[in-house]
Amino acid sequence: MLFGLPITGATITYFVLALIIIVSGVFMLTLTNVMHMAVSLVGVFLGVAGIFILLGADFVGLVQVMVYAGAITILMVFALMLTHRGLNGHLQGEVGPFRGTLTFLSVAIIVGTLLYAIRSTPWPGSTTALQPFHQSTVNLIANAIFHQYTVAFELVSAVLTVALVGAAVIARKEE
Amino acid sequence: MFSWQTQPLTWMHFLGMLIGAVIVLFLVLFIVMYTIYFERKVIGWMQNRIGPNRVGPFGLLQSAADVFKLLLKEDIIPANADRPMFLIAPIIAFVPSFMVLAVIPYTATHIFTAGLNVGVLYYIALSSISIVGIVLGGWASNNKYSLVGGLRSAAQMISYEIPLGLSILGVIMLAGSLNLNTIVTHQATDRFGWYIIPQIIGFVVFVIAAIAELNRTPFDLPEAESELVAGYFTEYTGFRFAFYMLAEYVYVFAISALGTTLFLGGWEGPFLPSWLWFAIKTSAFIFFLFWVRATMPRIRIDQLMGFAWKVLIPVALFNILLTGALSLIL
Repeated sequence: MLFGLPITGATITYFVLALIIIVSGVFMLTLTNVMHMAVSLVGVFLGVAGIFILLGADFVGLVQVMVYAGAITILMVFALMLTHRGLNGHLQGEVGPFRGTLTFLSVAIIVGTLLYAIRSTPWPGSTTALQPFHQSTVNLIANAIFHQYTVAFELVSAVLTVALVGAAVIARKEE
Repeated sequence: MFSWQTQPLTWMHFLGMLIGAVIVLFLVLFIVMYTIYFERKVIGWMQNRIGPNRVGPFGLLQSAADVFKLLLKEDIIPANADRPMFLIAPIIAFVPSFMVLAVIPYTATHIFTAGLNVGVLYYIALSSISIVGIVLGGWASNNKYSLVGGLRSAAQMISYEIPLGLSILGVIMLAGSLNLNTIVTHQATDRFGWYIIPQIIGFVVFVIAAIAELNRTPFDLPEAESELVAGYFTEYTGFRFAFYMLAEYVYVFAISALGTTLFLGGWEGPFLPSWLWFAIKTSAFIFFLFWVRATMPRIRIDQLMGFAWKVLIPVALFNILLTGALSLIL
């Protein structure tokens, strides 16, 4: 038992994934080259996908990999490649000691409050279930989208199509 | 120990998974070596040449010699390259190519296969990470040929991923599952037989999009020798170059295995053992890819993107519509 958590494969996996997410996030913030930042973001996306899969939402997790770690990253890298290589931003100078201490204190207070609130809340049900959903998540999502929320889904797709066509029209050169 | 599909996860099964992964890795390295040999022999034969025949009997050890040469070569990093990116890009490109093999059902007993409920999606999702490795390699080399190769491959692979996914959708509609094991067993009992028959349009789109995803002739614009030297890996040498080549050929095997599973009935077949059927069908698929390479000239860059967006995607969408309508009527 670690802080009241049973040490199982799932717990270990969770902490490893959390570590990956945090380390990649810190890299993303501290690196100065935009391309390196984009690659650290891939680590965050993959870690989050891992968390989804750990929670039993395998479909959402893999869509996360495909859309974010794959497509969105390529889009960012593509945009960066088309812009200048020398854009490796000269960020603002060092943060002063006063501001640093203040930031640290406020973050510490927020983390402490959150931890206290989470630890003191009585959570219902068992937390060790390996199969949280009673059937395949693909079926559940399909039922929700195409049965329960059909109209909303179709409206969203119409909005996205309009946005796509609009982007193409705006981007087209005047002739 | 190896029957992890049906039993809960224990340390024993975890150990079995590790052993399985190592066995598959070595198997794949062996397959890649002989795929390259096979490619050179087949294309040589088709172009009225002899092909490799010096190292070992019939040149069988030629690929082994090539691999040793690459491993022993100096690993040159260009002075103006982006060093960390240059070093990890081949790894980013290779790791997903090996990971996708986890869901391929090689045999009827599902040895070394993950029974993933979203197997098809897993393949498509992971293979899209490889593109990041290729684009980064092209960018980090700080070389104009590499950069153009990287840009081209990003545009091409993202574009052709859409028809690839759409062409698989017809199969998923017929089988009613994203699980590759289920898709194979469904084909055994389907009244139309293997899905290549009811999904012939989907199969054609799948093969074309697969060749484009693999950056192979006639879609090898990212590494077009006559215009871009070698495309995104122009600056790579030694074992990092080998990593890119390895990723490319592992994908040749993986996409052939996926096509076999989705359209050709996977390990299904009479008389022979299931793994042998799988090997025969996958080899036929790989042979077809080489045949196309030996026969077709490279297409132009402006034809390439137009073909994906104006021909393949509408055809794939039409196939989905047709599949849906037919499965309602029949």
